[in-house]
Amino acid sequence: MEELSKSFGPVHAVRGLSLDVRAGEVHAVCGHNGAGKSTLVKTLVGLVRPDEGVIRFEGQELSLRNPQDAQSHGIALVNQELSLVPELSVEDNIYLGGLDVPLVYRRRRLSENARAVLDQLGLRHVQLGTAVEALSIGERQLVEIARLLVRDARLLILDEPTATLSKPEIERVFRATRDLVAQGRSVIFVSHRLDEVFELCDRVTVLRDGRRVATHEIHEIDRRSLIEHMLGEMEGAKAMGAHEHTDAGSGEAVVRIEGLTVPGSVASVSLTLESGVITGLAGQVGSGTSTILRALGGLVPTATGTVEVHGKPVLLNTPRRAVAAGVLYVPNDRQREGLFLGQTAERNLTVSRLRRLSRLGVLLRRRVRRTARELATMAGVSVERLGSPAASLSGGNQQKVLLGRALQLEGTALLALDEPTRGVDVGGRAEIHNLVREAARKGTAVIFSSTELDEVLDLADVVVTIFHGRIVSVVPRAEASAPAILADMTTSHASDGGVPS
Amino acid sequence: MARVGIEPRPLRLADAALAAWIAILAGVTVYGAATTTGFLTVSNMKAILTAASFVGIIAVGLTVIVLSGNLFSLALGQTAAISAMVFLYSLRWGLAAAILLTLVLGLAIGAAQGFVVGAWGANPIIVTIGAAGLMEGMAVWLSHGQSIVPPVDQTSWEHLANPVLGLPAPVYVFIVVTVLLAVVMARTRFGRQIYLLGENRVAARAAALPITLLTVGAFGIASLYTAGSGVLIGATSANASLLLVGSYTYDAIAAALVGGNAVTGGRGSIARTAAGAIFIATISDMLLLRGYSTGAQILVRGIIVVVVVVLTNLRERSR
Repeated sequence: MEELSKSFGPVHAVRGLSLDVRAGEVHAVCGHNGAGKSTLVKTLVGLVRPDEGVIRFEGQELSLRNPQDAQSHGIALVNQELSLVPELSVEDNIYLGGLDVPLVYRRRRLSENARAVLDQLGLRHVQLGTAVEALSIGERQLVEIARLLVRDARLLILDEPTATLSKPEIERVFRATRDLVAQGRSVIFVSHRLDEVFELCDRVTVLRDGRRVATHEIHEIDRRSLIEHMLGEMEGAKAMGAHEHTDAGSGEAVVRIEGLTVPGSVASVSLTLESGVITGLAGQVGSGTSTILRALGGLVPTATGTVEVHGKPVLLNTPRRAVAAGVLYVPNDRQREGLFLGQTAERNLTVSRLRRLSRLGVLLRRRVRRTARELATMAGVSVERLGSPAASLSGGNQQKVLLGRALQLEGTALLALDEPTRGVDVGGRAEIHNLVREAARKGTAVIFSSTELDEVLDLADVVVTIFHGRIVSVVPRAEASAPAILADMTTSHASDGGVPS
Repeated sequence: MARVGIEPRPLRLADAALAAWIAILAGVTVYGAATTTGFLTVSNMKAILTAASFVGIIAVGLTVIVLSGNLFSLALGQTAAISAMVFLYSLRWGLAAAILLTLVLGLAIGAAQGFVVGAWGANPIIVTIGAAGLMEGMAVWLSHGQSIVPPVDQTSWEHLANPVLGLPAPVYVFIVVTVLLAVVMARTRFGRQIYLLGENRVAARAAALPITLLTVGAFGIASLYTAGSGVLIGATSANASLLLVGSYTYDAIAAALVGGNAVTGGRGSIARTAAGAIFIATISDMLLLRGYSTGAQILVRGIIVVVVVVLTNLRERSR
């Protein structure tokens, strides 16, 4: 039995972690966001060098400098984002960048080799000369695997391989994976989807806060205890009673969403958002929570369904319409879509209210300055920083500036906050949560998305769990429990689950 | 994250290189000024300002497009030329009517291009090349390829070319419209929104800025200013044809670039462009006085533009 183990010291994300993967097994790695899964994967393929600890593979101690190095030792990663060139043929993609492709291209031998690998993966029907763009996403995933197999990968790491696949495609990838381990190869399977972990894997390791919590044979563990491991019993219990939630909701329905659908992402979501109530959308990355908020903000032209604000139906096909209707969307990607990084904090804070800060088109400079000071103070950004470019602020302060621009805006019926504390440290997070609560207290309806359970439980009055573009559950905060929500976030109760694409 | 940090930005290599370049240019200019016969005379200063004003008016207008993140217009020369033609032709209805008609036409031409760019997300370079072709075609078709001259019984237009208090009228126009636009860009909601749009178009969309309207405004202003310059060009040359297209487009772009406005938008100012236009006119004048050929003048101008653009770019990237 080959055994590989690794452990490494106090890196930020991962502490003293060790893990062994046997030959001929599918080993699942589970954990909540920030548990250290991606750091582990990056270390294994040489993208990150461990501060301490070693990787032993096939009895040999490895010091990996880069992914090519890892590949030459037989360790390879199948990425979430595929790295194939769509215009090139299947065969060319398989050999593209290969280390041992001879300068003089010996076509026949290589072709036979590629054919054999494709057949082995169940791609008998795919011609070597077919352009990759003609294949389905699932087939591309398999070509990606084929590419690693011709390089004789003996440890394959599948990082969320099924996120973008349909049910039959997932089946095919699973079948191929089982064949691979039957040949004595090893697979590390990183996934949020617990169903798949139980279906495919032999053993499962749970990470939390950069540590290994447990490793179990899959038949020794059930879903419940797996979720408990992921959450940590204490954490889960604490989170449940952590924050006092005032019942500020006036009960007045501000926004009614009926059958909101975005092809390929969101399936018929209906919600009623009340004044003063904070609704939290809980869902994993790619579950559609972000798309729902973007659609409300007028940024998804393909969205269908009806949205009523104060009883009036509104067409949310441009951000301007959304804002005119009183729906204010705050983007999650503050660097790309949120802030004007090269412009001053003052300009960023006042961008949404320039009309009220000008007369006949001329800016009232004193009023602009005063408003920016007020908003900065409210959002907890130092007033001295108002003249500095937003790019020079820390991540937390940037987020506060972004949120600050949406505060105290007349005519706002709904604040839609997409991952309001992404990349913000604990202290900043608490301050931002207070800002959101304050806005709700003043009667605005608030909806936010988060992939982090703690945040949803901390901030939301109503928890809406989304899986694969559908609402799985709507639970008032008082009745919400971390394990139940995590279970909902990782599986759909409805067996079909899928989104029409 | 490269952009995060609260300490003041240290002086980087690119900043130092830019400063060095400015010092070299200043040094060469001072040296040239001191050693070139006839450079430091009042009449030569007037000549420089006059030469700068035609391109300068176009360039400051163009700056609004640059700041809005829509690169450049490549239809400026054509707009100037047909504006001159329209102006001279319509003088038969009186001076005021001719000026008004030309300016309104210029504004409309630019606004139309801005609409295509802003509302449909078309590439500004391609749209303006297309517009330039359209304008040339229309001009040839309507003028039958002939030069337009002012009506013989009309002399009112000559005031536009004559000196006032010792300086040609275009110089005053240049100063006034530059100050006006600088105030608009610094003090109005429109100006502020143009900067924001140029800084980050995606964020501007998410923040619900009126992108189409702003783009229409940017191209409208650029084209309006170009038409204004066209009026002055027509009055000065008293004869207008497509030959006037000349190199106005590239000269205006060069002025905006040499002034150090970020090609990507959001950063820069009207004043920078005006300075760029005057600087280029100064260098050209100096080379002319020292007897260099037109070829050498164009070459030197090209070198200056390239170096400034590279340095500004490096500097922007290191921010």
